[in-house]
Amino acid sequence: MNASKTPGLIRERQERMAPYLLIAPAVIYYAIFWLFPVLNAISGSFLSAPLKQGGEWTLKNYAAVFTDSMFYRALINTAIIVVVSVSLEFVLAFALALLINKKFRGSSLFLFLAIIPMSLPAVAVGAMWNSGLATNGWLNSALVHLGILGEAEKIPFLAGGQGANILLIILVDAWQVIPFMMIILLSGMQGLKPEMAEAGRVFGGTRWQVLHKITIPMLKQTIVTAMILRIIAAIQIWLIIVMIFGFNRLPVLMEQIVVNVDLYTAETFFRKGMALSVLVALIVSLASVAYLKASGALGAKKEEAS
Amino acid sequence: MTTLTLTNLAKRYSRSVWGVRSMSLDVKDKEFVVFLGPSGCGKTTCMRMIAGLETVTRGRIILKGQDITDLPPKDRGVSMVFQNYAIWPHMNVYDNIAFALRLKNVDRKELNQRVKKVAQMVRIEPLLKRFPGQMSGGQQQRVALARALAVEPRLFLMDEPLSNLDAKLRVSMRTELKTIHQESGATSIFVTHDQSEAMSMADRIVIMKDGEIVQTGTPEEVYFQSANTFVAGFIGTPPANFFPVEWKNGKLEHPRFQLSPPPALHQAIENHGKNRLILGVRPESIQVVREEEALFIAPVLVVEPQGSHQIVAVQVEDEVVKLIMPPACGVQPGELLPLTFDSTRLHLFDEESQLRIPGY
Amino acid sequence: MTIPRPLFQAAQKTTLALLVTTVALTILFPLFFLFTFSLMSDYETYSEWPKPLWPHSQVRYRMEKISPQTTRLLIWNHGQSQWQPFGPEHIEANEEVAKKLSRFLTNYGNTTLSPSEILSHVQKAQNSGFHEFTAQKSLSQNYQRFFRLYSGAADAVLHSLSTALLTILISVVIGGMAGYAFARYVFKGKDVLKLSVLFVRMFPPVAIAIPMVVILGRMGLYDRPAGLSLIYSVNQIAMNIWITASIFMGIPESLEEAALIFGANKRGAFFRITLPLAVPGLAACAMYSFISSWNEVINALILTQFRPTFPVVVYKSLLGANAQVHLIAAGSIAQAAPAILFTLIIRRYLLQMWGGVKV
Repeated sequence: MNASKTPGLIRERQERMAPYLLIAPAVIYYAIFWLFPVLNAISGSFLSAPLKQGGEWTLKNYAAVFTDSMFYRALINTAIIVVVSVSLEFVLAFALALLINKKFRGSSLFLFLAIIPMSLPAVAVGAMWNSGLATNGWLNSALVHLGILGEAEKIPFLAGGQGANILLIILVDAWQVIPFMMIILLSGMQGLKPEMAEAGRVFGGTRWQVLHKITIPMLKQTIVTAMILRIIAAIQIWLIIVMIFGFNRLPVLMEQIVVNVDLYTAETFFRKGMALSVLVALIVSLASVAYLKASGALGAKKEEAS
Repeated sequence: MTTLTLTNLAKRYSRSVWGVRSMSLDVKDKEFVVFLGPSGCGKTTCMRMIAGLETVTRGRIILKGQDITDLPPKDRGVSMVFQNYAIWPHMNVYDNIAFALRLKNVDRKELNQRVKKVAQMVRIEPLLKRFPGQMSGGQQQRVALARALAVEPRLFLMDEPLSNLDAKLRVSMRTELKTIHQESGATSIFVTHDQSEAMSMADRIVIMKDGEIVQTGTPEEVYFQSANTFVAGFIGTPPANFFPVEWKNGKLEHPRFQLSPPPALHQAIENHGKNRLILGVRPESIQVVREEEALFIAPVLVVEPQGSHQIVAVQVEDEVVKLIMPPACGVQPGELLPLTFDSTRLHLFDEESQLRIPGY
Repeated sequence: MTIPRPLFQAAQKTTLALLVTTVALTILFPLFFLFTFSLMSDYETYSEWPKPLWPHSQVRYRMEKISPQTTRLLIWNHGQSQWQPFGPEHIEANEEVAKKLSRFLTNYGNTTLSPSEILSHVQKAQNSGFHEFTAQKSLSQNYQRFFRLYSGAADAVLHSLSTALLTILISVVIGGMAGYAFARYVFKGKDVLKLSVLFVRMFPPVAIAIPMVVILGRMGLYDRPAGLSLIYSVNQIAMNIWITASIFMGIPESLEEAALIFGANKRGAFFRITLPLAVPGLAACAMYSFISSWNEVINALILTQFRPTFPVVVYKSLLGANAQVHLIAAGSIAQAAPAILFTLIIRRYLLQMWGGVKV
């Protein structure tokens, strides 16, 4: 009896193995090219030099980070940029999406346009705003052409203080992100069945109540995903800042990593960069988990599982 | 001659979840068998095991003398019509039908002939060059049928093939499917949860519940000889009415009536030897009579005209009892109807086991 | 109900139109100006204010007779709306000077005039006191000059392309396999894996790039497109698992089952039925992989030395000491063009993907 069962069992076992065989390459790939370097980075940040070259375990790299005044400036700037830009972008994008959530002539062309900024390479965006915000740049030119500025007047956009610089970066980031965020929310809204909101109206809800109690909760999944990816991206902003202001003028976390790793060649700076990158990874993870917790997505996940 | 034999077939999904607990069945040559049951009863799982889409936990499947339990689907000689048709959208109708034949290296002339033949059979000849996206649900259904017939299968499986069609098409397709079955003579298994579909098409109905067979029989058998209260309550439009009764002094006693069964039934009840019973009465076996002949009198709740007849719901104790009356007989809600049962058509079940008591 | 309904609707419509137009213009203007800049000549870049809003396709020149032997050249300054001297103070009518001037006009005015043409213009000015003419501006010149000036830019494009192609190959195949498993099977650890896909994104790419310098160095892949694509694939595989999972989920499993019944084995069912149906989605997935690889800077900065990718060249050109705005604009446009093109092609899938991504 048992012997006659074997082919069936083999087939069943093959069926069970199939998904694991299919995900195996991805898992192995991550082990080699993600987990290994990550562990390397973490251990490297605690070493004075490679172990083979007589390196010792040390906290000096972290000490170097924490005694660097740039680190604290970078931390504060990054925090401001993340909080302000992510919330500003979300609110504006959501408001725009709500207002535009109608079929109108040229709506497909509009969506077509809105997706462009996000597709631009970071260097192109950097070059665009570098040439735009320069004193002789196109932004001032456009203002002169429009008659808003006289010919001799030029706004020195890049000569402002720290606060003004951060504001500029936030605006530039908003230019790139808001349109895309808006389409994501729009497509989410259009995925909702209109009957849902209509039912809300029929049963006596005001516009605001319908938005608050029906539309937003139903979009939650889309919103949470979009926001978390935005937070991760915002913490790692650097290229645009460097392309507009150069290094060390408006320090942010990622920029400081590049400064240490790429600009200087000494081992100590390289190690400091490693320590910094581990810290950034920690910050990104904590921020994402905190956001997931705050938005209740983690709790919902558990409910589903149980 | 037997085509398909299932012995103790079982499917376990996880430690405690069974798709099919144990199923044994013989299907005869050219027979049209319908698996009928509510959703989750294991009928589709069973069919998928026969098709080879689901592995078998226990038991054997023998098709034309060959043990196919562990064969991959393609080597079983079965074909199947899926609930959502599963027509391949990137192939035109001709290629869909010819797919299996090409894989079997049927030569081009014969292939062409066979595709044409089945296309004619299901009347989609003009559509052969079309793509599925350009066709209606009914047409896609026919393509699925043609594709399944073209391979000249040893066994023809249909998984709720009519459930995605609109009501009118569904009824006309029943007739057509039956005609096609008679023409092709393919042994067929048909899965459905719709009892009227099962009744109208099946040579034999296999009624399933909770992963097990409850009753196997011709439509007449399952209707008139329902094996338990589940079958009696599942088959028929509307299904049978049930009255809890007690066997006392040679009579079936219900709070509203006392009934003396005919001699054969009397004997059967005596042989069975238990007192607490359930009386099942089909709607058409309840008759409206003159008041002095009435078994009991019940008030009318609702009248549902059906055209050829009407369904009248009356209240008996706390239960709603449905009966069938001729059209336009002028019954109004609230009216009191004197009723009696056709005593030759009674069903009696044991209250404890819910099984039909044997021997009448 | 104080405002009549038709009036209210009209007001609503106008507001919507205004809003949409404003957003569209805000998106378009910076891009358009970058494009305008990429077409400016040196003269326009350094001597005109305000800068033109619209790219000029022609340059207006004027020759004035100073003395019977000498002429001078003027150029029309759009910013100040006047003629301004351009080039050498005197032009003598000889072959040597004309050759020099021709080169000058090419380099600083983006106009091509042969020495003999110049001499004939000089002749006309000598005859009638002054002579005005227009010359066609070369629109591709800045693009060519970008590639000539920033050495290795052309090679960098090749490096970028091969990196992107390798990334596509690795990430679509590996991600696609896992995506298929996610779409079709229930298996232990599926939920953990789903979240880990997000987790991978949380670790900044630089943090991986730094140790990777050593690891790739040992593998002999440091400063090679292949090495870079291995890093890009880390992020991209995670993305492609999501994308392909939603693609495969969109293809009913019963289509594959039907193929199994009608004579195919598992492999055949996948390659004959599922794969052809997934091709458009997978193409979009490949384009997405291309875009992210093509646009990436920081890993490329750290992991390349003599074989930089194109974005690195553009980035360095901007940080260089003598940044030439109009040439960099040309470089950026050249870099952005394929990314924009592919994004527009796959925009439908991009949106679907976002709708489908779940945390």
